[in-house]
Amino acid sequence: MIINAKEAFNQDTIEALVQRAQQGEQVAFEQLYQQCYRRVYGLCLRLLADQAHAEDATQEVFVQLWHKIAQFQGQSKFTTWLHSVTSNVAISYLRKQKNWLQKVVSLEDSGMEQTEIAQCESLNGLDKLVLRLPERARLVFVLHAVEGYRHEEVAGMLNMAVGSSKSQFHRARKLLQEWYDNE
Amino acid sequence: MSKPTFEQFLKQQLPRQQDQDQLPEPRKDLWQGIEKAINLPTAEPRSASPWVKLAGVAACVSAGLLSWQVIMTQPQQDTMANMSAFFEQRKQTLLVQYETQPALTQDWQQPLQELEEAEQAIKLALTKDPDNAALLKMLAQVYQQQLDLITKVHQPQWQQI
Repeated sequence: MIINAKEAFNQDTIEALVQRAQQGEQVAFEQLYQQCYRRVYGLCLRLLADQAHAEDATQEVFVQLWHKIAQFQGQSKFTTWLHSVTSNVAISYLRKQKNWLQKVVSLEDSGMEQTEIAQCESLNGLDKLVLRLPERARLVFVLHAVEGYRHEEVAGMLNMAVGSSKSQFHRARKLLQEWYDNE
Repeated sequence: MSKPTFEQFLKQQLPRQQDQDQLPEPRKDLWQGIEKAINLPTAEPRSASPWVKLAGVAACVSAGLLSWQVIMTQPQQDTMANMSAFFEQRKQTLLVQYETQPALTQDWQQPLQELEEAEQAIKLALTKDPDNAALLKMLAQVYQQQLDLITKVHQPQWQQI
């Protein structure tokens, strides 16, 4: 078995910082932010497909984290818990943005424009395609394929039927393949 | 070298999505805003007078009734009119709600006026092309921006992030 020493070291560092932040040490919390902000921002951007919204949601995640960190019992890895908090904040952020609009007109967000994606530095090949996906297909693809949630869990998080989650996933894969093949 | 198939591409990219070098960077330092927000004193719960509470309830009920009417009559009416009616009601509800509360800045009416001008320009374009989805989306965004502006200038804790 190969042990990823860097990963193990980071995990130990994170767990130590979490313990200090739970005691109310703000310096430790800032270090925790420095260790984790790219994970959080990355997930927010993948879910929201908007840089400004992803930045707002990232701040909201860390503010909530500061208030909730004492509740973290260490039964799972901190990063697993962090991803779960981030997903929930980003989804509820999306709902807050859309709430009254969706009641009036059902306009599905069509994803990021290619010109906008081209301006985003540091995006990897898959992210460049994922951010173009329409909202529902994107959310399902990110939560299922990237974050590893089961369709049952995704359906619960997005308030949709399990079958819809599966069909949105296939829709996402089909679009991604089409765009990838045409690149 | 030939391009990998889509399956190979996914197989190679998906496990690496959490690697630090694969994650995007925000455009600005976000810590400053977080630090300000977590150091804000917890807001004391405000005790509103019964009349303010009653006005709030009445505004919510009328907004609810209007949205019900909008949703029920949607097929008969055009989308722009529905959106505008719903938005006006929301805007008035917010303005009533914040009437007695001081705004954070004095010049918030200026950006609101600019947004209202943008709203009029988009509405004008929509009269010529009523089903244009991009224009409808733009109008919806301008409406949302107005609601956000009214809310934000009256909510200090979020203004500071």
